[in-house]
Amino acid sequence: MGSKGYFLLLLYMGLLLPLPCGAVDIHGRSSTQVLWFINDFNNHRQVDIAQYIMLNVTKIDKEEKFSIYGYGRGVQDLNNGEGTSGRLYYLYGEYRDLFDKADIRIGRQFVNISAGSAIIDGIHTNLKNIGPVGFTTFGGRDVVFGVDGEISHEGNYVVGLSAYLLEFRKTQLDVSWFRKWDSGDVAQDIVGGSFNQYLFNNIRLYANARYDLIAEVFNEVLTGVKYFPTANLIFTGEWYQSYPTFDATDIFSVFAVNRYQEWVFRGDCTINDYVGLHAGYTRQSFGDGEDGNLVEAGVLLHPIENLSLDLSYDWQHGYGGRVDGFIIDASYDASKEVQFGAGMAYDVYKRDFYPSSTGNETAQRYWIGGKYKFAKNMSAYLRIDDLETDARNSSDVQGRFIFNYDF
Amino acid sequence: MKKWFFAFMFLALTALVAQLAVAQKNAESEPQKEAKKEVKKESARESHKDYADMKIADCSSCHKSEGVAPNHDADWVRGHRVMARDGQKNCADCHDQSFCLDCHQGGGIDAKLSTQNYRADYVPKSHRADFLEIHPLKAQNNPQTCYRCHDKKYCSQCHGKFSSNSLQFQSHRRQFRDIKLSDVGPNHANFNTAQCQTCHPGGLVPSHTWSADHAREARRNLQSCRSCHSDGDACVKCHSARVNSGLRVNPHPRNWNSVKGNYRDASDKKTCLRCHDVTDPLIR
Repeated sequence: MGSKGYFLLLLYMGLLLPLPCGAVDIHGRSSTQVLWFINDFNNHRQVDIAQYIMLNVTKIDKEEKFSIYGYGRGVQDLNNGEGTSGRLYYLYGEYRDLFDKADIRIGRQFVNISAGSAIIDGIHTNLKNIGPVGFTTFGGRDVVFGVDGEISHEGNYVVGLSAYLLEFRKTQLDVSWFRKWDSGDVAQDIVGGSFNQYLFNNIRLYANARYDLIAEVFNEVLTGVKYFPTANLIFTGEWYQSYPTFDATDIFSVFAVNRYQEWVFRGDCTINDYVGLHAGYTRQSFGDGEDGNLVEAGVLLHPIENLSLDLSYDWQHGYGGRVDGFIIDASYDASKEVQFGAGMAYDVYKRDFYPSSTGNETAQRYWIGGKYKFAKNMSAYLRIDDLETDARNSSDVQGRFIFNYDF
Repeated sequence: MKKWFFAFMFLALTALVAQLAVAQKNAESEPQKEAKKEVKKESARESHKDYADMKIADCSSCHKSEGVAPNHDADWVRGHRVMARDGQKNCADCHDQSFCLDCHQGGGIDAKLSTQNYRADYVPKSHRADFLEIHPLKAQNNPQTCYRCHDKKYCSQCHGKFSSNSLQFQSHRRQFRDIKLSDVGPNHANFNTAQCQTCHPGGLVPSHTWSADHAREARRNLQSCRSCHSDGDACVKCHSARVNSGLRVNPHPRNWNSVKGNYRDASDKKTCLRCHDVTDPLIR
């Protein structure tokens, strides 16, 4: 059964379950969305209608240990011949505190450990209360979403195992293993670890690493320190490196690649209830003597209680080209029921790759929107975007209308 | 040697942290232990779920007094992965899986007004004003950033929908097939792969700008090559080691001799056989 089949099942459950059925607690959201945009693949205007369903079914059994969770969407193109597509993000049953030692999830679900993450059709168990170490295991069919829907195929599987420290409030340590199969052959074999340590009430040390057992390189290493003299002031320093290792079943896995490194320095400060500031600098190294520099700065303002302004500026120069740009988003709560929003993003860029012009180009996005809450469980909103990009040589108005119903 | 060094450092760090944690636990005074028991009793009744509607500033203020760093700040989107990957994570106390997947897999059931969408998929702010135009540059940054939400196949699936002539790299402005054999001779497009070794015996390739440029570009961002040449056929034309085909230009990394057995075993030789004959002693 593909995504569409699963989504129909979820939709069917969504329609069926709100019927009165004892003490079972059923909550969720139905979101009906109309989206219109220019299809970049054929330059035709397209109108899609999307139906999202999210479902939480709890208190099914007497002890309230078993629950069912689901989330998916179906999209129908109304005028451009793309037809129907769907994504079932998750649909799983969870049994918590089995013998007070284990939580078990069965079905489609998102799994995430330090060695890797995936959406799987399978089983996830979490073993706890057996001492200072907890264990997570999972395994199942690997689910991959592409542009038009699911692109995973037969023989794609994932398994993972993680052991982590419990009971230590200021120390977190996790060691894990993640393996992925592609058409029955081993595609990825990763050992990972993550670590957090709080010191002196104002320092956090952290690290995260992934070691590729096939390529025998650390394809990802992050180490960092945060210094927080107060709850409103945080300084961050990080070093990160990565090798873009490919699946062993992919011909690109046998090619030599450069190491990418970056050093991040950053400060975040909340001055008071009205003003928050942040600024950061990232030095990038791409190997073969090519470097890049990235500066980010931003401010979050609440000049009056119901108004918030979020401004951020990015400046990136170096290998690959340059981007200078800013994003401004504003939202105003006119009342408990009505919210307005507007914003813009403006980028000036020059690409060294796939160049479409010899000079600077600009991309501009302006948006305006509003949200209205009809009732406690019902709301609708509309957002209209105008995208103006030199490369497209015309403006592209797109938008979405959403009706949400919470049950 | 290097891998053993890293493996040793990794194990040493693990042991050090475990020791630190045990020491931290043992060093707790009796009143602290009593207090902790109280907290445990308390936590039996109250989890993070009970605080889900609180302002982040209030959470941070309370946690700060316990020495736990403030989180969910302006840097949280960039930095949350270390916390989210930890086995002890408590994200689920306040968030459904949909919260993760709305960002990582394009869902949009709880999107804010300010969240952009591309077609039916909702996208984070890192996608800038027009990511279609800016991603060739942004994708050069940390190559893992894209993979956190998109499978590598996603790039080739999307690029495959465009005309190949509209997507050209620096080195591709003058393509290999356009290079002439001499000032007046025919260009490479006139020859097939079986004829390569007539002029380049043993894989000897004359140095020219195209070969140097494309090698540098490929090493820095191989995913970009894969985005358009997903099956690798274009690469194999020169890098294949098969008899009577290709130029046998070795593309492997420096540590290849120590890892090639891993690739051979993992892919059941299928990856090796793309470029090597079954009888090639190099893949035995």
